[in-house]
Amino acid sequence: MSSAEQAQPCTEGGFWRDTGRTGITSWIFSTDHKRIGLLYFYSTFGFFLVGVMLGLLIRLDLMTPASTLMGPQTYNALFTVHGVVMIFLFIIPGMPGAFGNLVMPIQIGARDVAFPRLNLFSWWLYIIGAGIILTSLFTGNGPPDTGWTFYVPFSARTSTNVSLAVLGVFTIGFSSILTGLNFITTIHRLRAEGMTWGRLPLFTWSLYATAWIQLLATPVLGITLALILAERLLGTGLFDPTRGGDPIMYQHLFWIYSHPAVYIMILPGMGVVSDIIPVFARKPIFGYKMIAFSSLAIAAAGSLVWGHHMFTSGMSDTAILVFSFLTFIVAIPSAIKVFNWVSTLYKGSISLEAPMLFALSFILLFSIGGLTGLILGAAATDIHVHDTDFVVGHFHYVMFGGAGFAFIAAMHYWLPKFYGRRYAEKPAIVGWALMFVGFNVLYFSMMVLGLKGMPRRYYHYLPEFAPLNLVATIGSWILALGLIIMLVNLFRGLFRGEPAGDNPWGGATLEWSIPTPPATENFEQEPVVTHGPYDFTRTGEP
Amino acid sequence: MDAAHLITTTEAIDPVFMFIFGASLVLLIGITVTMMAFVVRYHRSRAPEPTSKVSANIWLEIVWTGLPTLLVLAMFYYGWSGYLALRHVPKGAMEVTATARQWSWSFTYANGKTSPKLYVAVGKPVKVELVSLDVIHGFYLPAFRVKRDVVPGMKNYAWFVATKPGSYDLFCSSYCGTGHSAMITTVEALPEAEFDAWLNRKTEKEEHPGHELLEKHGCLGCHSLDGTIKVGPSFKGVWGRKETVLTNGAERTITADEAYLRRSILEPQADVVKGFPPVMPSFAGQIKEAEIGQIIDFLRSGAAERPKPDGGRLAKEKGCLACHSLDGSRGVGPTFKRLYGSRVQVTQNGKPMTVTADDAYLRESIRMPAAKVVQGFQPIMPTFPELKDDEVEALVEFIEGTK
Repeated sequence: MSSAEQAQPCTEGGFWRDTGRTGITSWIFSTDHKRIGLLYFYSTFGFFLVGVMLGLLIRLDLMTPASTLMGPQTYNALFTVHGVVMIFLFIIPGMPGAFGNLVMPIQIGARDVAFPRLNLFSWWLYIIGAGIILTSLFTGNGPPDTGWTFYVPFSARTSTNVSLAVLGVFTIGFSSILTGLNFITTIHRLRAEGMTWGRLPLFTWSLYATAWIQLLATPVLGITLALILAERLLGTGLFDPTRGGDPIMYQHLFWIYSHPAVYIMILPGMGVVSDIIPVFARKPIFGYKMIAFSSLAIAAAGSLVWGHHMFTSGMSDTAILVFSFLTFIVAIPSAIKVFNWVSTLYKGSISLEAPMLFALSFILLFSIGGLTGLILGAAATDIHVHDTDFVVGHFHYVMFGGAGFAFIAAMHYWLPKFYGRRYAEKPAIVGWALMFVGFNVLYFSMMVLGLKGMPRRYYHYLPEFAPLNLVATIGSWILALGLIIMLVNLFRGLFRGEPAGDNPWGGATLEWSIPTPPATENFEQEPVVTHGPYDFTRTGEP
Repeated sequence: MDAAHLITTTEAIDPVFMFIFGASLVLLIGITVTMMAFVVRYHRSRAPEPTSKVSANIWLEIVWTGLPTLLVLAMFYYGWSGYLALRHVPKGAMEVTATARQWSWSFTYANGKTSPKLYVAVGKPVKVELVSLDVIHGFYLPAFRVKRDVVPGMKNYAWFVATKPGSYDLFCSSYCGTGHSAMITTVEALPEAEFDAWLNRKTEKEEHPGHELLEKHGCLGCHSLDGTIKVGPSFKGVWGRKETVLTNGAERTITADEAYLRRSILEPQADVVKGFPPVMPSFAGQIKEAEIGQIIDFLRSGAAERPKPDGGRLAKEKGCLACHSLDGSRGVGPTFKRLYGSRVQVTQNGKPMTVTADDAYLRESIRMPAAKVVQGFQPIMPTFPELKDDEVEALVEFIEGTK
């Protein structure tokens, strides 16, 4: 294998060069998993930045109790579009689409995914769906104002552009299903010789568990959204009690997908952290089997807990008993992961570079998100904090502090491999520190507000909630500042930084054994894997 | 129910919070401190090479799977038993129906009294039946840790008891559209005697048998209850009023007492109030003696003095102000400020047109909100069929006065 000095560390080599087409078509019609991965990266991360702007505007409105920055209709559209963009256009497709595509085939020693054209089609479905959602914002009676949950009967009645937005999400659902199908097949069929299930990197394990949820749960979302369209366009009355329908049934259908979807969002993030921590501690991951198994356990048990979103809805007390119990069961595999990550650090040789800092803060923020989730799983306490800022704070700890920080960790960890250049370390750490502080100031304040009784989705609020809302808004500015520093530094580095070398972190998984940037079909010849993913005595060899 | 032994919803829920937060804090501190200690102790500057290769330990895995399992099962159990306290309504609880609509609350008591605020007696449990007229709302009392969704077509309920007099926030917790954050009111907890007095204070909605008789016999077609002059004099304040009447063509002053009222019903032409035409037919033979007594009793009770509705209060209680501001700021609907008499661009049946916001237009907009919708606003205003004509007039007058 070539050393760092010999490699051509620029975006001209490897898969950047080897293509029959030129210009934009060499990207949008490429079937190379790395090019598709970067298409996903730019599109999903672009929508992440849009979502951030919307989030900052929401916080700006909430800075004072009766802000006149915007009208209530605008505010309601803002939090709806913020949720739809962040969930359906960033977190769900982001990690599997971008880093799953970039890294997973290399990690298992494959030349590409099992169905490269289907892979491209998935991205196209995503972009078409995103285009439909964007169209819904600027046409008809204005952007949807239902919240990202599209609860009936309101979503069936509002005159805003809900139908078009729902159609967009429906389309993106197919993208997710096909990606899941593709990844399951790839991981089953295309592992290189010697890449046994016990040698599969944990990031790939997490994608495998995720892919099953994508494949099995997303069709339910498709059905649910199609029923909203039927309700709005045909007046079927499926969810209308005056015509024998049931609005609570909608909530069941919606959460049968949307709770497992939470694990689509977080599982790959857990996989990223499981790959990064051993590399920066120079020590094999602790409890490999338990971490891999717990991913599958989360995927399975997580499919049975949707009802905990509905404790106040009026569903039966028996249902609440069962869903509360199952919710506590699903907490256990997450706890196992945290304990194993921390144990990996024991007697290691720990280097606190940017990917590691993001990964370690993931553990802390995810733990806070998980522990506050216990409050929401217990029937008694959930009643008080349901539909308050506590829930909003809680899921931002899991989704942003968890999945989001893992995504940024993955950007710092893997992107230099694909761009061939790396970022400066010090600004990356400054960016991380500001983000970490701003994040906690913002979302911890929101959790306290929720405990005090501030309902979510409130355009104006009572003066008693003013001080903490101001603090939260200031937190959002610190977070945004950190994000800007992090991004400027990262992208300047990727295009103009120092050469990254083939294996800047000393990783032992296969992606670090090939030249930087990887060639179009990754491996000159199919590798024969001879060691586990975290055997750091043998880095550089397959 | 003995108030001393009554466990309030707050007392049932807060210990569960303390337990879960306490256990979580211990865990969080444990994880954080361990992680920080490892990061400091095994930092590459101190530990250039790893000093252990251990990568699995079955006993550790068993311990940190088993202990959290026991812990979360305990949390589940306490959470469930606390929740049961929210579901079991104490015997003898007062029943109130909460009616939610976009975007206001209305509370109806057993005796028919309605109120935009939820008045309760201190120390007396209240069971609230939750009814929605449109979309899903949420009935949320943070001070009592009580929340239940208000779902159309479903019979949900919640209960709570206030142990101290005071005013407590009542929020709509389930997002219900544009005016969601304005859908707030309060629980007013009063000492029991004060509450009983409030509850039994007569309002116009309580039907006196005499009132029914006036309606039954069509008296109110000519005699108003609110002071409006119709064909005949108004009943408002009629008891004890000095009137100038014409008796056989001669003016004299009488006091409207029982004898006068009785004679007016049976022999209407005997003493005709000056200024009114002598057109009233006699009710002799159509109306029973006992009924006359009830009518007189009703007129005497002062209940007939239905006060003129207060437009400002109505605008607030019916939730108008949730969408229509008074200060000129743009809400869900157009502001009331300087609305009266202004030229308004509206859409009628999809066609744009300009109208003047006069009495007729405002009346129509309250009765049929979808008829003419101001351009740039959503056609989402609900109708208010419960408003009486005089209440609509009061609202129009109120809007006219909003300069």
